[in-house]
Amino acid sequence: MPLILTGTSGSTTLDSSAGLTFSDSSNQAAAASPYVLKNRIINGAMVIDQRNAGASVSITTTGSAVYTVDRWFFYVTQASKITTQQNQGSVTPPAGFSNYLGITSSSAYTPTGGDNFYVSQNIEANNISDLAWGTANAKTVTISFWVRSSLTGNFGLVVENAPTYNYSYPILYTINAANTWEYKTITIPAPTAGTWATSGNGIGFTLVFSLGIGTTYAGPSGAWAAANYNGVTGQTNVVATNGATFYITGVQLEIGTSATPFERRLYNQELANCQRYYWRFNGTGGATIFSAGGLAYTTTKGTFAIQNPVSMRVVPSAIDYASLGITLFGTSTTAVTSAILVTSTAESSLNFTVVEATVASGLTQFRPYNLSSSSASGYIAATAEL
Amino acid sequence: MYKIVKVISYGVEYSHIIQDRGNNEFTSFPADENNPNYPAYLKWVSEGNTPEPADE
Repeated sequence: MPLILTGTSGSTTLDSSAGLTFSDSSNQAAAASPYVLKNRIINGAMVIDQRNAGASVSITTTGSAVYTVDRWFFYVTQASKITTQQNQGSVTPPAGFSNYLGITSSSAYTPTGGDNFYVSQNIEANNISDLAWGTANAKTVTISFWVRSSLTGNFGLVVENAPTYNYSYPILYTINAANTWEYKTITIPAPTAGTWATSGNGIGFTLVFSLGIGTTYAGPSGAWAAANYNGVTGQTNVVATNGATFYITGVQLEIGTSATPFERRLYNQELANCQRYYWRFNGTGGATIFSAGGLAYTTTKGTFAIQNPVSMRVVPSAIDYASLGITLFGTSTTAVTSAILVTSTAESSLNFTVVEATVASGLTQFRPYNLSSSSASGYIAATAEL
Repeated sequence: MYKIVKVISYGVEYSHIIQDRGNNEFTSFPADENNPNYPAYLKWVSEGNTPEPADE
């Protein structure tokens, strides 16, 4: 039944199917989303790719997280079975999206035992406090996403607590047609048991898209289990088919038993969301300035404070860099031979990344300098990933 | 490939590690067992590798 609000100049009608109709007969059929800030996934539309800027990556590191597009990481137990890239394969994304995360199997590898291949996002506990998981007030959530694969069949998705990794919900979903974008929704019943971090800046839980699973970490579909599952019994293993593709985008996780339209975020908002965990400044030419004025404390070493774009989750744990320089206000630049992240007392913080850079020679002690790139390929980045 | 770098800050010596990731790209992190990069370094050492010494 529509709700009609009548005033002196006409009436406005609110109808669940027709939307909002104003007195001049103009109509807003549906808002872009019923409410905002509902999606607990960051970079679900795979728009931000600070690390690789759309370049292809082969996952060669085993046993630890390898981040690709922002906030999404790969974990594999066998090297070089997967390549990944933002917009890999250059297929047309689903309507309304510009980007997707592409994955291609590099071989035909049949997972066994403890083998594990997945792409995942760790969700910060601060962002899921209202889910109240592990309590009698726990909320049901629904995960929605677009997926496209050269394979068809049942595929595996898992939600798991972390970092204890002992309570998980594996579930199968079906891809019906090959090489076709399909929209999937999966409702995860509220977990009233298990140990869940529901506040603080650590991991609250992790969302896993399995790409290959052996028997050890595969669990039965559709039930919470007090176990460390990273895949689902009976799932299709992408890594088992050479050249198989698996593309995803529009990943959303929200409270409720049904999926609502994907929450659109402005580019700058989503970039800032990602920069809480990782930021990267790229050189755009010769000496692109990265820091405010620092100081040469010897003729070969200088210390530089870089203001983080946003307050980071924790004090950065590492810096990545290439082709750095120490520059005297852009007039001359000396190539950096090594740089370290300084995290000792009173130096790097949530708001500043402090870098000590070394050059071969040529600095003037106690003269102010800037940290910069030494070429267009130069960059510096700081990570505070979960 | 890893290299160890020593830093003295406020009179205290700290060890930092620089990982050469190839293609002239590097990662630097403190030699701290709580650092998320440190286990990979320890694994690399346990495989019989030796880090380059600190620069003088």
